[in-house]
Amino acid sequence: MFGLGVVKGLSVTLKHFFETYIEDLKYYPKRATLSLADYRMAPGSKGIYTVQYPEEKPTLPENFRFLPFLVTDYEGDDIATQIEEARCTSCGICSKVCPAQCIWIVRDTDENGKPRSKSKQFYVDIDMCMNCGYCAEFCPFDSIIMDHEYALADYERETGHVHDIVRLMKPASYYQSIRPTQYAQKAEQRRREEEEKKRKAEAKAKRLAEKKAAAAAAKAQKDDAAE
Amino acid sequence: MTTESPPALDNTIEVPEELKQNVFITTLDAIYNWGRMYSTWPMMFGLACCAIEMICAASSRLDIERFGWGLMRASPRQADLMIVSGTVTKKMIPNIVRLYNQMPEPRYVIAMGACASGGGPFKEGYNVVSGIDKYLPVDVYIPGCPPTPYSLVQGFVALQEKMKRQSIKTVPWYNKDIPSEVIPVPLLGPDIFDPRDVPLIKQELQKRKHAAEQPVVVEEPPADAPKKKPKRAPKPPKLPKWDTTPTPEVQALADRLNEAIAPDAVTPEAETLVVQPEHLIAVAEYLRDTEGLEYTYLSNVTGVDYLGREPRFEVVYHLYSIRHWGGPVVLKARPADDENPTLPSLINVWQSADLQEREVYDLFGIKFEGHPRLKRILMWEGFRGYPMRKDFKEPYFEEDVKPFTNRWPLGEHEHIEFKNPYKKNVYYPDDFDPDTWQPVGEELEEIRLKGVENIAGMRTDRIKVNMGPQHPSTHGVFRMVVTLEGENVVDLEPVLGYLHRNHEKIGERNGWLMNMPFTDRLDYITSMINNHGYAMLVEKMTGTQVPERAEYIRVIMSELNRAVSHLWLIGFLLNDLGAFFTPALYAIKARERILDLFEEVSGSRMMYNYMRFGGVANDVSEEWLDKARFHVKDTLPRTLDELEDLISNNEILLARTKDVGYLSPEKLVAYGVTGPQLRAGGVNYDIRKAEPYSIYDRFNFDIPVLHNSDVYDRYLIRVLETRQSLRILEQALAQIEPGEIMGGKGGYITRVPAGEAYSRVESPKGELGFYAVSNGSGNPWRYRVRSSSFVNLTSLPEMCRNGKVADAIVILGAHDIVLGEVDR
Repeated sequence: MFGLGVVKGLSVTLKHFFETYIEDLKYYPKRATLSLADYRMAPGSKGIYTVQYPEEKPTLPENFRFLPFLVTDYEGDDIATQIEEARCTSCGICSKVCPAQCIWIVRDTDENGKPRSKSKQFYVDIDMCMNCGYCAEFCPFDSIIMDHEYALADYERETGHVHDIVRLMKPASYYQSIRPTQYAQKAEQRRREEEEKKRKAEAKAKRLAEKKAAAAAAKAQKDDAAE
Repeated sequence: MTTESPPALDNTIEVPEELKQNVFITTLDAIYNWGRMYSTWPMMFGLACCAIEMICAASSRLDIERFGWGLMRASPRQADLMIVSGTVTKKMIPNIVRLYNQMPEPRYVIAMGACASGGGPFKEGYNVVSGIDKYLPVDVYIPGCPPTPYSLVQGFVALQEKMKRQSIKTVPWYNKDIPSEVIPVPLLGPDIFDPRDVPLIKQELQKRKHAAEQPVVVEEPPADAPKKKPKRAPKPPKLPKWDTTPTPEVQALADRLNEAIAPDAVTPEAETLVVQPEHLIAVAEYLRDTEGLEYTYLSNVTGVDYLGREPRFEVVYHLYSIRHWGGPVVLKARPADDENPTLPSLINVWQSADLQEREVYDLFGIKFEGHPRLKRILMWEGFRGYPMRKDFKEPYFEEDVKPFTNRWPLGEHEHIEFKNPYKKNVYYPDDFDPDTWQPVGEELEEIRLKGVENIAGMRTDRIKVNMGPQHPSTHGVFRMVVTLEGENVVDLEPVLGYLHRNHEKIGERNGWLMNMPFTDRLDYITSMINNHGYAMLVEKMTGTQVPERAEYIRVIMSELNRAVSHLWLIGFLLNDLGAFFTPALYAIKARERILDLFEEVSGSRMMYNYMRFGGVANDVSEEWLDKARFHVKDTLPRTLDELEDLISNNEILLARTKDVGYLSPEKLVAYGVTGPQLRAGGVNYDIRKAEPYSIYDRFNFDIPVLHNSDVYDRYLIRVLETRQSLRILEQALAQIEPGEIMGGKGGYITRVPAGEAYSRVESPKGELGFYAVSNGSGNPWRYRVRSSSFVNLTSLPEMCRNGKVADAIVILGAHDIVLGEVDR
């Protein structure tokens, strides 16, 4: 029938319109425990939903990655201590694996000019970073992590878009708050590795002691025999 | 204002002197700025991946209409905001500057994404501009690659903040003394140059001339000076060499060819046939026409530069048979002359060689005799050098391979784009004069098409119309030069390269693993499938085994992505037909649901970087699988039903798409068209069935084939294919079992044994192939992407000819091109 297409089209729009309001009504009893965004973005929710950003922000998945930051175990405000307590050992793996080559590292030196396993300066050029997450994936020290902060628009880029070590430093508690599962996993892994190391060291010490004791006993036996 | 204010009355509150004149203005400012802040009209044009996120911000999830920003204008004269969304190439920048100049004041520019702000990951490329702010004044930068739609909205808020601070008294556009700024349009010379930089270039030219005239004086170092250690010359890279003992099948085929054509027409080498250039056409015709062989489909043509070997160049052809699903037969031809490499063109044997041979000519400088339109395709005419040659150096050239040594451990950060770009690696011809330079091919074309007789015998004028590169219906930065007679298309020529981001050149500098996130940016709607194809290539070369669960995850991701891509196409095909944004809105709504799934598991909405050699990066949880099952059972079929109910029998759609853009099945194959368009023409060819990869042979699914080969069938086949994808997904989601997700060695350094390989997957656009040559080191020697969108475009002129101009848009829409993949 001529004109049926128009009626059909409008009915689809109308259906979505009503579905949206029905979903809102369904949400009403749950409003105390669940945010609207989380409810409406869950599978099964029908109708059109608009996130009222920036007033309302949906929960980001833990894996979400934007730009990298560096983790420090110091929770205070003092920048120098933060950098000193940073997990980064300046090994340079992140900079080698970075596909866009946007990471510059300056290794710290001690008073004699000998290189230390700490970075003095750490730059990430966020105008080159492709948010791929390789630096975080391959960091052996769980030191460089992909951030959840995505609202970064600003008015100039020459200084603001090169994140230096001060800008990159964020405490471990922040890391834990954005990626709790990963944090717990890595902490557990580290703990196990340390235990393993300790166990190995102990075993080695024990073996050494046994060897020593055996050698001493053998010597004593020999001495006895000689006598 | 210097007028004296009247003396204040005693009983009035004293107004401070500086406020006296401004109370009115401040209120007016507030009203004026409030009005501007909430009725900004952005220009409707997108450059690259970021544009997709911009579209998402304009659709229902974020709905920028809430801010009064939703009225996107296709004409710069009606727009006051330019969102530069994506990579700006040198070929594109003159057009962007022109558009900016056409915008009326007040005008604002948002640089969206890392590429527009500062070049992004493609910064090192020879055709990429390191940031739009070298040419245009930028108001707001939005970092991220890509920024999420939320970031874009935050950028809008930042721009509103900026507008709020402007005063009607100080803004330049009401001041008659300040003329509106006109940015000089950059010129495409040997490299791009900004007319404002002409003095710099002249200085450099002068210096070179001077240096050429002066005899070289070698200064004798004083005897007591400490001897400098001579810098060690970098070792030349190892030439790729591998065992070339032919396999029995290839040997047999070679014997057959030699018997039929000439005694030494071909030499078998490993799995390939090296053909003597003079016998190339005969061999090709024999392979195409002989019964039993019937290699009617030329999939891939590419060049390889073996610098240091004799002969240096090589052109590789990959042939498949559509009839018996056989192949590949790999032909290699080596032009004898290194200085002026020439080969016969195969365009008369397989038309699909058309654009691909032009690309080889453009990037390697290999000439194809007999090609009717042999000119540059991705770069512009007059560009210096052939970029894919191994000895080509870019203006900002750093090193041959990554990691670049200057970044660690003692690299102070530097913005390379602020260094003088007109030095060292830029080549200027002897007669180059920047003042009088006229870019080749950019002159106004003299139209000698007046008073011709048209098909109906009427006298008429022909006109040429440039559609694009920023036309909203070209799905990105693509240009069609259409010759029209009234509304009829007489001829159409695709012009590419506006998003040529040097993917292959950067890929050859990258380590193998580094290329994975770059493949995301090829066809940015189907990143998962790109990941899959590339991972398969490297796994094929290294012999890595993929665990069972990882294979299942890969198939699930690929098929979900196929569904998403087809939905996107259906929405935007309707856009092109004039149903502006309503069908797209519902398609995007379903797509967002799937993107949420992808984001949850990979961390990004578009650039997943999810697959690794030997598996996938993250495991999926049981919860995630449940969500996926729900979407496969409920959301996606519901959306498809709705779209089909809404669209499939709509009389306007039928009138616009039935019998439009017909091309016969034989021609489709000859043009190298693959994917849904080929199957809508009655040819049953799907790589998932023809050459099953991954674990596709375990699933029960059909390949839908339609026979009308028009735009309607091309639309319908996507709906049918999405339903088949859902079938695969249901089975995969039911069968998946716990287990390992990574096989192979892992780690960040991948070494690939010397050799070559071609691996292909069925992407929603067609055949997506990856070809690589390895010399055994950590970087590919040659890395090539055979993209379906690019080769499919070969058929566009033929499909559009003798149709209406409005149909050309729809035919292009049904091609489903993504410019990231077309231009790479």
